[in-house]
Amino acid sequence: MTKNLSKKSILLIEDEENIQSFIATALKNQNYKITAASSGKEGLHLSASLCPDLILLDLGLPDMDGMEVIKKLRSWTPVPIIVISARTNEHEKARALDWGADDYITKPFGTVELLARIRTSLRHSRQMQDLSSTEPRPYHCKNLTIHFENHVVTLEGKIIHLTQIEYKLLTLLAKNSGKVLTYTYLMEKIWGPYTDNNNQILRVNMANIRRKIEKNPATPEYVFTEIGIGYRMEEGD
Amino acid sequence: MNFKKTTGQSMVCLWDVLLTALILIIATITAFWFFVTVPENSANIALVYITALVLTARFTQGYLYGIAASVVSVIGINYLFTYPYFQVNFTLTGYPVTFVFTLVISLMVSTMTTRIKAQADTLVEREKLLMDAEKEKMRANLLRSVSHDLRTPLTGIIGNSSAYLDHHASLTEEERLRLVAHIHEDSNWLLNMVENLLSVTRIQEGSMKIATSLESVEEVVSEALIRFHKRFPEADVKVQVPDELLMVPMDAMLIEQVIINLLENAMVHSGSRLPAELTVTCSGAQAAFCVRDYGVGIAPDKLSTIFDGSSYNPQSSSDGHRGMGIGLSICKTIITAHGGQITAANLKDGCEFFFLLPR
Repeated sequence: MTKNLSKKSILLIEDEENIQSFIATALKNQNYKITAASSGKEGLHLSASLCPDLILLDLGLPDMDGMEVIKKLRSWTPVPIIVISARTNEHEKARALDWGADDYITKPFGTVELLARIRTSLRHSRQMQDLSSTEPRPYHCKNLTIHFENHVVTLEGKIIHLTQIEYKLLTLLAKNSGKVLTYTYLMEKIWGPYTDNNNQILRVNMANIRRKIEKNPATPEYVFTEIGIGYRMEEGD
Repeated sequence: MNFKKTTGQSMVCLWDVLLTALILIIATITAFWFFVTVPENSANIALVYITALVLTARFTQGYLYGIAASVVSVIGINYLFTYPYFQVNFTLTGYPVTFVFTLVISLMVSTMTTRIKAQADTLVEREKLLMDAEKEKMRANLLRSVSHDLRTPLTGIIGNSSAYLDHHASLTEEERLRLVAHIHEDSNWLLNMVENLLSVTRIQEGSMKIATSLESVEEVVSEALIRFHKRFPEADVKVQVPDELLMVPMDAMLIEQVIINLLENAMVHSGSRLPAELTVTCSGAQAAFCVRDYGVGIAPDKLSTIFDGSSYNPQSSSDGHRGMGIGLSICKTIITAHGGQITAANLKDGCEFFFLLPR
């Protein structure tokens, strides 16, 4: 391909014209190539013909359920999908993530927030491509470092002692830093697929981790809660 | 529907028959016991049956069972406990008198208890009406303050944007920026209000019930703070949560809204630069949340009505400052729906808002 490699293409599936225009303006300004679709069908069409680097998907579309769009897209492409959703329904967001969306952003949002999410998702999709070839680099953020190869976590240079489960949880979040991991996903990854729906055990473990790495559990610096959905770890540098 | 009703009624019917039979059987056994142990005093037996009659009348519907029970008892006493035993003999001296009096007693008791039951029903009904009226009042207050509060930021948005559209050519760059900045600020204010209103819709109509789940307090507090800082990036809040993990059943979105509203109230109305403090403690069967500021405090005349949403005052609308009316009344609605309590108090330096949630 001869097209400018630095210019990422983004497909925006959103029926509201005002929102379309503000997102398009903000993204063009940041040198993304943006294409807009105003219905689910058109969006699916365009995603197949354009092969965008990222898809922004509004869940409330006029012609079809946003969840349906995610399902159809996921049947053939791993392209990062960021879901745009209304605040009130946590279950919908969690479901979208469990169905294969990479991230979500809640309406209304500012351009700064949107751009940050897009950058994170693009980076992860690139990482996914590199992951098979190279050893994971240590996670580093502020004073926290995780050395994946020798299972060591340090805070301000001091070693933090974590239980096996806590370590597994923390590294899972760190490897996906910047992304929300849902309760369901975490439960499945750590405790296996047949654990019950009660995520109390997850919350207890997260509380323990918080007490080991955060100065004040109520104002965390590293691991953030998205209530009703899951946890998000601060992006590493 | 109709079928259901009849089965319900026949269920009650059957239950009453069983209950009457049960009471009479117990009375007969007790009477028999008296008859064997203290045979010289036969008055006890009559008293036992009268007690049974009173109980029957009290716990069954209508008069029928009481009368039936009295007939059965009169015949029963005659048959079992008066000579000749195991024979019905109404020719005993004074027996018709006994019969009539027992009937009269059971009729009187039935009438009385039926009346008492009816009165209790009326009381419950009246209480429900009162609660409905209270809710209606709350809703009306809310609507009144909402329409006032919504209009103010909308006026700003419409005014600033139309100024921009109509005069953009003649405006300096700085003026344009200022107009847009005002639009941005007002729409954020509007958003906050809408979120407050949305949160109220999560409280179920009518029953005032909410869907709670066990949440970790520190997670709720931290998310509330993040949302609060999104609106007021420069605001400083000192937070403290208990050392051990505290889990409380709640609707997390709603409690976040309460915390945000209280913090905003502390920031906007305290008139102090000192950081507000948010402290969560665990006291027995309750979780206590306290938002404290070091500002001017609450005007004493407003203290008693601060959560009513009635502190909205049409005369003072010109100051326009971000009426906290709906914010605080929504806090009250949310906490009440959780079965908790919220209070406000003036301290020596500043004021404190305090709410308790049952664990």
